[in-house]
Amino acid sequence: MKTKILLTFIVVLLFWRFPAASQEWLVPGNQLNVENPLPYNLENVQKGKDLYQQNCKSCHGDPGKNNHLPLAPPPPDIVSEQMQANTDGGLFYKITSGRGGMPQFETTISEDDRWRIINFIRNYNADYEQLLIDAPPVNAKLLASVNEADKKVEVLAEYEDKAGNFLQLENTPVFISAKKAFGNQLLGQALTDENGRAVYSIPETLIGDEQGLVSIVVTLGENYLAEQVVLEKAKVGKIKDVPKLIRKEVLWSTNENVQLWLLLSYIGAAGAAWIAIGYVVFQLIKIKKSGKE
Amino acid sequence: MNTIKSPEESRKILNTICSDLTRSITRKDELTRFWFFILIMFAGVGLWGWIIQIDKGLGVTGMRDYVSWGMYIANFVFFVAVSLIGFLISSALHLLKISWSKPISRVAEQIAIAAVALAGIIIVMDMGRPDRFLNVFLHGRFASPIIWDVTVVTTYLTISVLLFYIPLIPDLALLRDRMEGKIPNWKLQLYKILSLGWKGNQKQYKLVYHAMRVLMILIIPVGLSIHTVTSWLFAATLRAGWDTTIMGPYFVAGAFVAGAAAVVIVMYVYRLRYGLKNYFEDLHFDYMGKLLVFVSLVYLYFNINEFLVPGYKMKTAEGIHLSNLFTGTYASMFWLVQVAGLILPILLMLVRYFRKPLPLTIISVFVLISSWFKRYLIVIPTLEHPFLPVQNVPDYFKHYSPTSIEVMITLFSFFAALLIISVLSKFFPVISIWEYAEEKGVDKKYFSEQPKK
Amino acid sequence: MERNTRRNFIRKLGASVGAAGLVGSGSILSSCNRVETTAGDKIKLLTSSGELVEVDKSQLSPAEMPNLTENQKRGREGMPGRSWVMVIDLSKCRNARQCMQACQNHHQLRPEQHHINVLQMQDAEHTAPYYMPKPCQHCDNPPCTKVCPVNATFKREDGIVLIDNERCIGCRFCIAACPYSARVFNWFEPRDAEKYKGVTYNIEANVPQKKGTISKCLFSADRLRDGKLPSCVSACPNGVYWFGDRNEDAVTNGTTKETVSFSQLIKDNAAYTLMEELGTKPRVYYLPPKDRAFPFEGELIEHHS
Repeated sequence: MKTKILLTFIVVLLFWRFPAASQEWLVPGNQLNVENPLPYNLENVQKGKDLYQQNCKSCHGDPGKNNHLPLAPPPPDIVSEQMQANTDGGLFYKITSGRGGMPQFETTISEDDRWRIINFIRNYNADYEQLLIDAPPVNAKLLASVNEADKKVEVLAEYEDKAGNFLQLENTPVFISAKKAFGNQLLGQALTDENGRAVYSIPETLIGDEQGLVSIVVTLGENYLAEQVVLEKAKVGKIKDVPKLIRKEVLWSTNENVQLWLLLSYIGAAGAAWIAIGYVVFQLIKIKKSGKE
Repeated sequence: MNTIKSPEESRKILNTICSDLTRSITRKDELTRFWFFILIMFAGVGLWGWIIQIDKGLGVTGMRDYVSWGMYIANFVFFVAVSLIGFLISSALHLLKISWSKPISRVAEQIAIAAVALAGIIIVMDMGRPDRFLNVFLHGRFASPIIWDVTVVTTYLTISVLLFYIPLIPDLALLRDRMEGKIPNWKLQLYKILSLGWKGNQKQYKLVYHAMRVLMILIIPVGLSIHTVTSWLFAATLRAGWDTTIMGPYFVAGAFVAGAAAVVIVMYVYRLRYGLKNYFEDLHFDYMGKLLVFVSLVYLYFNINEFLVPGYKMKTAEGIHLSNLFTGTYASMFWLVQVAGLILPILLMLVRYFRKPLPLTIISVFVLISSWFKRYLIVIPTLEHPFLPVQNVPDYFKHYSPTSIEVMITLFSFFAALLIISVLSKFFPVISIWEYAEEKGVDKKYFSEQPKK
Repeated sequence: MERNTRRNFIRKLGASVGAAGLVGSGSILSSCNRVETTAGDKIKLLTSSGELVEVDKSQLSPAEMPNLTENQKRGREGMPGRSWVMVIDLSKCRNARQCMQACQNHHQLRPEQHHINVLQMQDAEHTAPYYMPKPCQHCDNPPCTKVCPVNATFKREDGIVLIDNERCIGCRFCIAACPYSARVFNWFEPRDAEKYKGVTYNIEANVPQKKGTISKCLFSADRLRDGKLPSCVSACPNGVYWFGDRNEDAVTNGTTKETVSFSQLIKDNAAYTLMEELGTKPRVYYLPPKDRAFPFEGELIEHHS
């Protein structure tokens, strides 16, 4: 948490130092007042949210959390004044064409979907009715263990109610990932039952380390404040296949792996030549000796 | 072989041959001194260039990350090429019992020694870290063509030196016995040591013939290898223009052209400077001319193969490379080399007049210069066009042009090679005295006689 | 069990903070190699992000500072069980060149020296132009190590092609042999040579660079050892790079930190390798520049095959 604050602080500082970096992004006049053809309703906002999570979140961050990427110019938070001051047409133009660090989405997101994203953005506008209410995150606890024999992950999820008591978290997805070299690979999710328990079957295809050991990571959705659980390595994956790359007798490797035919040819040819040279030198010695007779 | 001469006649002939062929050793004049002064001065300037290069880094050359081999490597290939003539004249022609080439073989060996020695030096000068040269022996990888090249260059140098030295032994004894008073004492001492106590008995001659025969046979595979392996430095890569199977024989054929031209030039200089008109006869030039035509024709044949076949297909990368040679940046150099260095010489030398000493020498100069530029065209244009575009680098990375340091060091190599040839000609007869005298019908027994004073 | 996991989790958190490289004196040292002992108790260290720092000597334990011979030895062996691969998504590249910059900082390169170079490509006359970041391809049949006369460039068991610039003789045969123009040479004294004076050579970063020797992309082997993604991968703002271990079939995006199945990624996107017809078997996979996120704004000067 501390680090995050520190990071945000650094990021904020960075942007203060370069206010000039965010130049005005002008929208052509005829685009400015294009109206959103899609109705502003829960369905569209919900779809817009999904699209946002997929395509925009990596740079713009979570709404209202100011956790966007530290780029110059900074990608604004969608709740911010800067974002909401845009007209619908303006937003549509910017999403469609992109600029600098902002990609174009003309070819990757359909027109309707782009309007849906705008609907989602408007969900955070004071002038609009907030259709999609993000409940304030709830404190939660996760406990998990892995069953090596059945290759299952068992999870118990609890949340904290207003009185401060921990109760079973029902019917909520928990996310199961596997720890890889540089990050956690999402394997899938499991729903908790009425007792707050969930069981996840680990797929057969999961690859572990050389002993088949995998470290499983369990997390809750974004509406819960819970520390992720990193389970100790368990033998639930396939044994990692480590094919040998450097074989005997490859031309590109060291002398230890040199091809036998090559080595023999080299030594044979060079050796024969130098033996012959040695023989000639020996003749010279003989010439010298014969001179003394 | 001429008929056996009477003792009187034999001694007379031998004396004449001796005094003619030792003229190069005894003569001391201003011109000689000036010549050596020039050679040493330019070689020294070149060495100074190398010191600058070591101090500042290879960046003082025109080479950069794309054209990372430049004039040095072209020059290296040129010297390796020239050195191959030693193998052709003093071995191949000998073994074929072609007798006219006998007086020329020592000239060919001089050139071979100088050229292969310089080839070795140039490659060290091209290294980014010449201080780590020993790594080649400490950590050498058998799979690397450079290791093969280092092996074969040292072997060839050794064989060339031996092939120069062994037929020289009886001559050294002659000089030891006859030159007293005419040359400084230390030189006499040198001959004494080098002649290995030569007495001229039957057994010693037998040993010399035997050793020469072994070397002549040995030099054939080694000589072919030196240039084939050098061609593999290029052919072993995936680059357009180098990635061809013809490289080996193509290089060998080109080497004979360059070497034969070099021999003609040196022969002519000796003939003029040391008054050896009766030794390097018009006949020799005529034969050398014919030899040059022959190897040039072979080389032309390989050139047609090398350029016509890919030129017919124009594969992407090859196409760019070839249009660059035929009509692009290097077109003028390419056509000059092909016409003035190959086609015109062939046509001219087919006429008897142009095989006379002076015309042939002039033609040879053109051939030799062209064959240097030919090496330049083999090395550089290919590197200027890699498979991927050359971007995000300064403009001077894209086209290679040699800098003054490179020119200095290249000049050093020329002058150092000439210096080696000159020193060899100043120390040892340029034609084998005993073999030549024997050819003229002088019996071996007269060689060891002390001349009457 | 539950208690155990929780404690374990907290420990892991501590470790992950360290790996993220947030400046805590302890974490920075684990990824350093020794530079020189100065007169006092301070010591100059080179971090794996390419920064020179000065820290107190007492903070170092000997195990954290491999000497040159050990460094060269482990640098030649590689990381056991790994098989590093890179996937470059051409549809995401907008020529931001953050990768090039991060790389040049990490590996002490002059502005004209590129371990990774973003090229403006066009395959044929009428085809669409695109940006193509081009690092060393770390071929499994490397033409460069094949020709090296002194075994100064070599392939490790984890797939990385590395250079030992303590051994390189500067013959540049490898430059001639590489069809991808991936190699650079130190034609002059390297950048900031003074600053790096006395720093112990780290073979896995090829730093300090040396005059008269070769350099090239190393997949930031020193960072991999610290569990960090290569410099270029981490620096990319556009999610172009995926990097990971092919043996465990996972690659991680340097921008989003998302980890996905390597085989799925290259299958779904019809990945290809560069000039596979040459038989070099590259370890860098390209996802075709279809549906590009950014329009091509460069100019095409010339192109080759």
